[in-house]
Amino acid sequence: MSLLATTIGFLIQTLAVASIYILVAIGLSITLGTLKFVNFAHAAVYLAGIYIGLAVALELPFSGDIGRSIGLGEVGLGLGFLAALAVIPIISFGLGLLMERFIARPFYDRPDTDQILVTFGVLLIVQEVIRGLVGGRSMTFTRPEWAQGAVGLGPLGTFARWRLAIIAITAVLVFVVYLYIEYTDVGLAVRAGTEDAEMVNLLGVRVTRPFLLIFGVGSGLAGAAGVVSGPVFSVVPEVGIGVLVPAFLVVVVGGVGSLVGSVVGGLLIGAVEVGLQMGAPTWASVGIYALAAVVIMLRPAGLFGVVEVDK
Amino acid sequence: MSDAAEAPTGQGHSEAGDLVARWDAFRQREAFPAIAAIAFVILFPLVFTNLPAYNGYMSLVELIYIWAIFAIGFNLLLGYTGLLSFGHAAFWGAGAYAAGLFSVAISGDPLIMVVVAAVTAIVLAVFLGVLSLRRGGIYFAILTLAFGQMMYYIALGPLGAITGGEDGFTGVSVDPLFGVLEMGAEFAGVLGVLLHDVGYVMFASFFVLAIVGAVRIVRSPYGTIFRAIAENEQRVEFLGLHVWRYKLAAFVLSAAFAGVAAGLHTVHARYVAIASLYWITSGDIVIMAVLGGTSSVFGPILGALAFLYVENIVSGEIAFWLLILGVLFVTVVWLFPSGLWGLVSAMRTAVRRRLLEGRP
Repeated sequence: MSLLATTIGFLIQTLAVASIYILVAIGLSITLGTLKFVNFAHAAVYLAGIYIGLAVALELPFSGDIGRSIGLGEVGLGLGFLAALAVIPIISFGLGLLMERFIARPFYDRPDTDQILVTFGVLLIVQEVIRGLVGGRSMTFTRPEWAQGAVGLGPLGTFARWRLAIIAITAVLVFVVYLYIEYTDVGLAVRAGTEDAEMVNLLGVRVTRPFLLIFGVGSGLAGAAGVVSGPVFSVVPEVGIGVLVPAFLVVVVGGVGSLVGSVVGGLLIGAVEVGLQMGAPTWASVGIYALAAVVIMLRPAGLFGVVEVDK
Repeated sequence: MSDAAEAPTGQGHSEAGDLVARWDAFRQREAFPAIAAIAFVILFPLVFTNLPAYNGYMSLVELIYIWAIFAIGFNLLLGYTGLLSFGHAAFWGAGAYAAGLFSVAISGDPLIMVVVAAVTAIVLAVFLGVLSLRRGGIYFAILTLAFGQMMYYIALGPLGAITGGEDGFTGVSVDPLFGVLEMGAEFAGVLGVLLHDVGYVMFASFFVLAIVGAVRIVRSPYGTIFRAIAENEQRVEFLGLHVWRYKLAAFVLSAAFAGVAAGLHTVHARYVAIASLYWITSGDIVIMAVLGGTSSVFGPILGALAFLYVENIVSGEIAFWLLILGVLFVTVVWLFPSGLWGLVSAMRTAVRRRLLEGRP
């Protein structure tokens, strides 16, 4: 009984932690697979998702140096999290398109190191702008009323509602993206492009537009991840790269360009992290790297990786 | 001798041309980097600490040398071998902790602390290098970032009892150099003006050695292979060279520089912060190298100088200095890939042209 409750608690927590990693990792994995583009600025979209999401849902104190000097005080729409959840993925999608057009595209023909450097710089700028506007101290936000408290699942125990909400939202989003990639022409071009972008080009398929769209979709997911994680973690401007590193690990473990890989990788990383948090808390943050190291040594392409990204 | 200078311009014999030719000959000499570096460490503090507006201080000068060593080594990897590591904080942090622990447990001799830091960084680099170089190309940045963060969490969690966890490692005890020379012992007279104190001589010496060493590596056949790998890995492979081994060598070499710098930093600060292992440190060193310019040994020095100046002096005036650095960084990556050193080179070329074209 108690064992069952522990197991189910473990599973739910794993799913909740994995959800955020998966949502962020999918975008990274797709851009890495199709465009061979390492996008550190993906975390900037996640950050935007958190902060814009909080401004839409609640009120955000603008207490940074720049924010104070403009005299913004507390600004927010206070529309609640459902509104934020509806709006932010669309905004993030737009941000993704802008990012592809104006940051990524000029760098497709430059060395990989330049791509990484410029996206790292963009992440740094976004992070510091947020610090300037909102301030660097960590903030916690109340969860929406409908997701507060716990829900009882009979003999299985009680679980935080927000956690269940995150899992449900992620499941829906991932399923929609799965359908999009599997059953649309854009998805077909993306899948083909992941296998061999050059060949798809030679066959006369214009991959620019599908790649642009999928870049936007990945960004939309990262934005959604930001919204759902806002009320869970204490929010500081550094959480962007804080989530980027595990998300990269998910891509490394799962394999590049594979949606299934991202989901499985995310679940594995989540399980290791949550499991260690329960069993050996001091090792919790180390375990996921050890897992990645083992996968790298045994299966360099990742569990579901088909393509070797070696530009 | 003057023929060489006249040939490119096709102009007649001029005194300026002669001067440029002699300067070129001097620059080509093996001893030039050492002479330039020694001149620099004597002159730089005098200028830097007496700037009219925002002047620096001695401790910052030493800090600049220490970070410059780190940046020079980092650039052997980024600029010369074309590998972008986002995890060099691992070597910086591990070296610093090793030096600190060693000073408490065994000996606080500054030189031995530096050696211990370097050896620790090298051993760690072999281990992390094998893991991170397992996949080529763009994976390298991701894996180094990840394993760098792993070192941070290891120091924070499982090793927290030894490293002091979040509070950092305090209680570093630095003995006098060679058992007799106190680090803070000031020199008298002219020596005092030029070389300040024992600590300064030590930091400056390592800085000079790092420059000489890096220039030697870069100009050697081995360094040429590094550059060839950055240019075209496949062709180097076709030549029958084991690319992977050279990459690992470059990685370990750059980590050794990081370790030396880290040991010096522990001697300098007498404290090791947990942040020294955090990704931000890796980011800082990337920014320094790129800002300064990755195509020469001297660029990263300029980058370290600019970064630390902004971080320590300008930050007193402008709170969002990191934002300014970020914008500057993106601008350099986007538009001026040769960095600040590229600016210096361009000016040098302009001056040369003026001299050679011989304005009357």
